[in-house]
Amino acid sequence: MDAVTGWWDDYFWGSMVVLQVFIFSLLLMVLFGLIGAAAKLSDNRVAQKISAAYTVIFRGTPEILVILLLYFGSAIFLTSVAQVFNPEIKFVDVPPMWAGTFAIALIVGSYATETFRGAFLGVKPGSIEAARALGMSNLQTFVFIRIPEMWRLALPAFGNHMLSLIKDTALISIIGLNETFFVAKQAIGTTGEPFTMYIVVGAIYLGFSTIITLTVMGLEKFGLRTTEGAR
Amino acid sequence: MIFDLSLIADSIPKMLAGIGITFQLMALSAFLGLILAVILLLMRISGKWYLSWPAQVHIYVFRGTPILVQIFIIYYGFPQFEFIRESIFWPILREPFGCAVVALSLNTGAYVSEILRGGVLGVDRGVLEAGSALGLSARHKFIYLTTPIAARLALPAYSNDFISLMKATSLASTITLMDMTGIARTIVAQTFAPYEIFISLAIIYMVLTWGIQKTFGRIEKYLSRYVKP
Amino acid sequence: MTNSASETLIEMQNVDKFFGTFQALKNINLEVKRGEKIVVCGPSGSGKSTMIRCINRLEKHDQGHIIIAGKELTDDVKDIDAVRREVGMVFQSFNLFPHMTIVKNLMLAQRLVRKINKVEARETAMHFLERVKIAEQAEKYPVQLSGGQQQRVAIARALCMKPEIILFDEPTSALDPEMINEVLEVMTDLAKEGMTMICVTHEMGFARSVADRVIFMDAGEIVEEAEPEEFFKNPRNERTKKFLSQILTH
Ligand SMILES: Nc1ncnc2c1ncn2[C@@H]1O[C@H](COP(=O)(O)OP(=O)(O)OP(=O)(O)O)[C@@H](O)[C@H]1O
Ligand SMILES: [Mg+2]
Repeated sequence: MDAVTGWWDDYFWGSMVVLQVFIFSLLLMVLFGLIGAAAKLSDNRVAQKISAAYTVIFRGTPEILVILLLYFGSAIFLTSVAQVFNPEIKFVDVPPMWAGTFAIALIVGSYATETFRGAFLGVKPGSIEAARALGMSNLQTFVFIRIPEMWRLALPAFGNHMLSLIKDTALISIIGLNETFFVAKQAIGTTGEPFTMYIVVGAIYLGFSTIITLTVMGLEKFGLRTTEGAR
Repeated sequence: MIFDLSLIADSIPKMLAGIGITFQLMALSAFLGLILAVILLLMRISGKWYLSWPAQVHIYVFRGTPILVQIFIIYYGFPQFEFIRESIFWPILREPFGCAVVALSLNTGAYVSEILRGGVLGVDRGVLEAGSALGLSARHKFIYLTTPIAARLALPAYSNDFISLMKATSLASTITLMDMTGIARTIVAQTFAPYEIFISLAIIYMVLTWGIQKTFGRIEKYLSRYVKP
Repeated sequence: MTNSASETLIEMQNVDKFFGTFQALKNINLEVKRGEKIVVCGPSGSGKSTMIRCINRLEKHDQGHIIIAGKELTDDVKDIDAVRREVGMVFQSFNLFPHMTIVKNLMLAQRLVRKINKVEARETAMHFLERVKIAEQAEKYPVQLSGGQQQRVAIARALCMKPEIILFDEPTSALDPEMINEVLEVMTDLAKEGMTMICVTHEMGFARSVADRVIFMDAGEIVEEAEPEEFFKNPRNERTKKFLSQILTH
């Protein structure tokens, strides 16, 4: 373990990259999931079909393939767009961080689509009707009744989605994101201790997973308390 | 952007040459993973802390870290140690294929064990009590009541995990294995045509996913003959 | 085992049972002779289920003695197995094995516990299915049967083990009204054949016509114990009176 001394700060900054990717992909994932769920629940046939295709595609394709495709694909696309304006340009480089963030958000978002849809449908009509009967407006009902109830129903699965996201950030190292894997590779180059260096990477991810799990557990308890109090 | 159709026609057979490795990785890891999962489950429900504790640690660690890390630790990490290089496992751990199978089995074993545990916990307590009342021993109850009922309950979740495992075999390409993804990456590096190659490959994987879903759907339907009239 | 009519099959002496700090059974004393039919009634939560579940060790009693057909229930697994072989049980929610056909439901324990071969086990199973008038359903799965039919299968399943005693825990309370009678009929037939029975039920007609004794429980205690005539006509305890007035006015 002595070999790790001197690399701690690199690992720390690598972890910050993981954290950053996680946060941005989480926001995007929620967005994709909500759009997907809304489309599935809508009356619009086309929207339903598109959303269904979205889930089938991203659940049926290996994560690494989605990441590779988005990274290289967007580079080529942007290059050809740029060449329209300036034929001199040979290659537009897409930052792996953004391609990767976008890719894993799309992947996990396809799972979140089902979660959000299920949670929306899981809200008992009784509580909605009761709220209406109390004279709440549509918006009030949505904000004060449906959202909290959906949130409670979706939380356990949502916790799993967050775990998927944090673990999928590791895959972005394949297209060259400078996160903990990258640090480990550099460290191995100088120390010749691959086991030690990758164990540190594993420990960092385990730490992130633990924090997420504990947070979700805490939120679940909180959610339970509020609903029990309401009864 | 125009799709190079002849390139696609050329590359699909090349990529399909790697489907054997994909299938081997999937079948071997699923089989070994299932055995591991059952062992972990038995350890967890044994009621003995010195068995249940290690099982829980395994599950926690393998579910809490990316498979990629697990693969790298086994493939790049283990050879750091002399005693591993001299052990009887070295012929397996020296090869990327062996490492991929070991990593995927350990990983899927952790997930499947939790799925099976869910099934076991889902078995109606009344049914087991009826077994007790008829004088069945704990072992007989486990074999003849808990196991078949839990297996039926766990099947949908297991099918999802099987699909995850199939997709995870593509990570073997990161340790030089020439599965379908490995071949595709080589072709893309040569032709720089990511759209054509990766999209065709994605479609192949989607067909596999569909096949797995259909197969499990069949099994589920057969096993569910007693669930609905 | 002798067959004298006055032989005591079940004996509970000063039995206490706790769930944590909550006392579910308080000083239960009960004696049941061979061939006797006992009906147990009482308000919800009074400990009726707990009492009969102690008799075949689905619950473990904390104090006192329970002796079944001469064997005392202790932690000894051998004795528990022996007792369970002599005591059949029928549950409120049937608890058939959902993944097995009806006839397999009846064969399983015969084969595993009594070590009877397949052919003989099937014969016994069909015999008892005929007795509960349901032989034609033998190859179906439990979900394909009505509640009343399922409960009759459950009774047949218990009978296949040739028990000395059968315990019933509210066998008709999960059934639709039109199915209650088909189950009560089977139980009445069993009683006529001399089976020793303890029956938790609120079917007072059944209690009147079949029971040798009716036991009333409240708050974990046996409050009153009498022959049915006496029990319904002249309940002595206030709690019994109140309970009966509630149940009979329905
Ligand atoms: N496993 C258990 N853990 C804790 N308390 C229990 C348990 N089983 C029963 N009890 C409690 O013991 C008391 C007696 O329960 P029991 O099931 O014997 O009542 P019962 O007379 O059969 O009622 P019912 O008519 O509702 O079936 C109840 O207060 C119940 O809450
Ligand atoms: Mg009860």
